[in-house]
Amino acid sequence: MLTQAAVAQDRNPIIRWDYVVDQSDDIIAALLQHLELTLISVGLGLAVAAPLAALALRYRWTTSAITGFTGFLYTLPSVALFALLVPLFGLSRISTVIPLASYTLLILVTNIIVGFRSVPDSVIDAANGLGLTPARRVLGVQLPLALPSIITGIRIATVSTVGLLTVAAIIGQGGLGRLILDGLRRAFWTPMTVGALLSILLALALDGLILYLGRAATPWARRAAS
Amino acid sequence: MIGPSSQAAVPRDITLWEWLSDPATWTGPDGIWASLQETVLLCAIVVAVATVVAVPLAAWLAHNRRGEIGVTWMVTLSRAVPTFAIAGLLVPVSLINGWGFEPWPIFVALLLLALPPIYLNTYTAVRSVAPGAVDAARAMGFSERRVLVEVELALATTLIFAGIRVSAVQVVATEPIRAFLGGDGMGRYVRDGLGQNNDTLLIGGAILVATLAAVTGLAFGLLERTVLPEGVRRLKTTRAR
Amino acid sequence: MSALGIRLDELTKTFAAEAPPAVDALSLDITGGSIVALIGPSGCGKTTTLRMINRLIEPTSGGIEIGGADVTHRPVEELRRDIGYVIQQVGLFPHRTIAQNIATVPKTLGWDKRRTSERIDELTDLVGLDADMLDRYPDELSGGQQQRVGVARALAADPPVLLMDEPFGAVDPIVRARLQDELLTLQSELHKTIVLVTHDIDEALKLADRIALLNVGGRLEQYATPDELLRVPANTFVEQFVGEDRGVKRLQLSTVSQLPFNQGPVVALDSEVSEALAVMDVYRSTWVGVTDQNAFAGWVAGQDLRRGGDLRGATRYPPAGRVTPASTLRNAMEVIMNSNTSVAVIDDDGRFGGVVTLEAIRAELGLSGADPVTGAQV
Repeated sequence: MLTQAAVAQDRNPIIRWDYVVDQSDDIIAALLQHLELTLISVGLGLAVAAPLAALALRYRWTTSAITGFTGFLYTLPSVALFALLVPLFGLSRISTVIPLASYTLLILVTNIIVGFRSVPDSVIDAANGLGLTPARRVLGVQLPLALPSIITGIRIATVSTVGLLTVAAIIGQGGLGRLILDGLRRAFWTPMTVGALLSILLALALDGLILYLGRAATPWARRAAS
Repeated sequence: MIGPSSQAAVPRDITLWEWLSDPATWTGPDGIWASLQETVLLCAIVVAVATVVAVPLAAWLAHNRRGEIGVTWMVTLSRAVPTFAIAGLLVPVSLINGWGFEPWPIFVALLLLALPPIYLNTYTAVRSVAPGAVDAARAMGFSERRVLVEVELALATTLIFAGIRVSAVQVVATEPIRAFLGGDGMGRYVRDGLGQNNDTLLIGGAILVATLAAVTGLAFGLLERTVLPEGVRRLKTTRAR
Repeated sequence: MSALGIRLDELTKTFAAEAPPAVDALSLDITGGSIVALIGPSGCGKTTTLRMINRLIEPTSGGIEIGGADVTHRPVEELRRDIGYVIQQVGLFPHRTIAQNIATVPKTLGWDKRRTSERIDELTDLVGLDADMLDRYPDELSGGQQQRVGVARALAADPPVLLMDEPFGAVDPIVRARLQDELLTLQSELHKTIVLVTHDIDEALKLADRIALLNVGGRLEQYATPDELLRVPANTFVEQFVGEDRGVKRLQLSTVSQLPFNQGPVVALDSEVSEALAVMDVYRSTWVGVTDQNAFAGWVAGQDLRRGGDLRGATRYPPAGRVTPASTLRNAMEVIMNSNTSVAVIDDDGRFGGVVTLEAIRAELGLSGADPVTGAQV
């Protein structure tokens, strides 16, 4: 057991910069791994959410079942999900990505549905009246107008995935979470601090990036209504 | 080295059913009942503190139509905070200040997780109470405090309860990370299962944790149904979760 | 493209098997180049009928011909690109600029950039938009401007047929009146075949060449010109629908130029006083008007004349108002009400064009058997 005295040693402050510089390769590797797994998880979540949302949009009566299902997945404790997948897929990326993707489903499905449902009926009617084929109407009119809501969903999903991914360190994945656990095991604070700070910074950076990209992709939403 | 309080080895070839039906699994300082108590105690305190802090603050701000920026903070907080990272970050902080590595880091991290749902729901609910009812109360001579407590809060109770429920479920679902940060609680079986490479412990631990989260949700649901007066429950507020 | 006629043949639409049809075997012949208004109470199927023409709603049975060709089996998107469609809420694409909105159908048809841009400029002029609006987004425009864009967008590929569903319902009355006038001007230049759904009988009377009044289930109660509809309503339903003030409504449809010339109690300035008095007698008027070199120069009070003096020297009072040959009978009536003389003077481009009397108006409407000049019963 550690004593207070041992902790207060000079060699173990909250953050030791020489260590950071020294281990920068490792830290950056952890950061990149974290980023990669985040993107894969959100990407997978989007790939599953899109058809689910399409189903709910096409057959309105399925909406509450789909929302209920994705909502249920959201309440499952992350530790439990990782634990259940390990016997099946081992301490691998699959065991990490599947739970994380399933946590994104609720917000992604919800926001895709809300986005499409927010397109005014008159716009759809006009699009049909002008002779646009269904494909052109969905891709050229409905999707762009649903985009703000979808992008918000992606933002929220990404940020929360970054946070949840740190927990995946318990099964050996999880980039920045590994730094945290490492530091804990060795009673060495610097990696813990670095891991924690970087995950917060990564979340904020991705949030800002997606927000910016979203605004760039939807120029009409920025102008004030007259 | 920082480690859990004790790590009882479990035979690897034991089946899940055998493990669960062995009384030794449940009793004793490492037993399920003990762990359950640890978890429930921490979570209950976190949710209670969050409620006591968030409800009055949000209600008062909403009543006075102030604090819009607080809402934005809360929303950002709820989305951007990685609980595990925060808890991890706080361990050295806590140790250096002589507060030990348990329970302060995990307590603070869980508190940050618990605040947003309660705060946001309370704020929204009080904010959207029908102005007509508030006006009528004022016209009848209610003091501002009475308006807030007897009219706004009473009508907002459904949403507030929903917020507390969501918060509690989130806290219970996230608490297992405590076992990986030097503590115990219900997450210990998953931790031990990973450490010992024991699938039974892993799956058993996972089921225990998931069941607890589900039971928490149901328990609060039941509580809402019995405690809230019929008239209040029947109100459909604009944004119930 | 020259205007094409539309023919509806026993057009029927049933939505639910057990329910009565929304439109029951409606047959209608719309002449090319004319404006036809579909009007009726709610549930009469006017919007359903309109939307069957461009097959936004597919007919259950019956035929639709445009320009003599059956359109019920044509590929539907192709058909719709040949038909302009304007709706009440406009439905502009919020994510595209005004120019991009207008260019929608041309772009689908594969027009090149130059042709499209020239057409956009043409249309901007035609519907009365400012060129600097083209790069703005719809939510930056007012309701009236948005609807103008909607019309431009519908006309972009120059379709021969234009369908309009309560197009001016969402704007305030002043803007609505202006848009209606502009539609009439547009039509006089373009000669499209326009089918207009409206619930406003006054709008139908103002805009349509012919009005189809529908009853519940798409039953055609009367299909006639505005004047016929007001003058000879086919049955009680029509009577009640157009309203009890049919007579007054008709006043808006006819113009002063339709009246026969009526000199009225007006004499030349250098006439004898006796002549003036005699004319006042015939018209039973206490005033006499004088013209100076064929232009109206004012009213002289009868009692001033009787006191002595001549026409030239008598005090002249200006008329309360003037009407032109293009004024509606309703305008003339306003002026008559406002004047002491009970007569409105017609100003035909500066020259005296005669007068309008109440009796003349009533005679024109066929409301009395009195002589329009003397007012004496014939």
